[in-house]
Amino acid sequence: MKTKVLFPNCFKKVGWIIFIPSVIIGILTLLNVIQFKNFKEVTVFAIFSDPHYFQKYEWFCFIKNNISDEILCIMNIIGAILVAFSKEKHEDEYIAKVRLESLVWAIYINFGILLFCTIFVYGTFFLNIMMISMFSVLIIFIIRFNFILYKLKKSLGNEK
Amino acid sequence: MKNNLRVERAIKDITQEELARHIGVTRQAINSIELNKYVPSTILALKLSKYFNKSVNEIFILEDTD
Repeated sequence: MKTKVLFPNCFKKVGWIIFIPSVIIGILTLLNVIQFKNFKEVTVFAIFSDPHYFQKYEWFCFIKNNISDEILCIMNIIGAILVAFSKEKHEDEYIAKVRLESLVWAIYINFGILLFCTIFVYGTFFLNIMMISMFSVLIIFIIRFNFILYKLKKSLGNEK
Repeated sequence: MKNNLRVERAIKDITQEELARHIGVTRQAINSIELNKYVPSTILALKLSKYFNKSVNEIFILEDTD
């Protein structure tokens, strides 16, 4: 099957190289094992900025910002997108079906967890959960998709 | 839907791997079709039909539940 919505297979490796370190660093930052407080502040362009939670905000301005979290976020999303949506070595209609199913699964699980947390988690910790949920759809998809492919490959070993 | 893929393959004496390579799909796809876990697209069904030189109806059979 020919599909235009996926990246070529070679992007998968690039994706893993970006994705894995960004996930590890991301988790360590969340757990406060490493901090980027001393990361150099850079002048960036902001369409909207409210450093003090809406007390004072600005449109279309230049601000100083520690860009460590932005870099991490961009690395994580680009890495995950490349890993998730690069073609397999042998891409065919069956793999496409597994991919679609995994995507539906990932959406269900992610928003199931988010619903659960909305009901049972309160306070500022919920902000952490919202932040994680930005990345978790893709991560759950990658885990489920690769797990199914692995299971298929393994079950093939037993048959002729 | 049932299918005779495994039988046809046995008649031609080729493995899933070889059939997959001829048709241009993964071995997983052939395996899942044989296990009735996956209904192939019309294109794939026609390719299989062409390869085995049999009509699609001889390889794939509708069931009452379909």
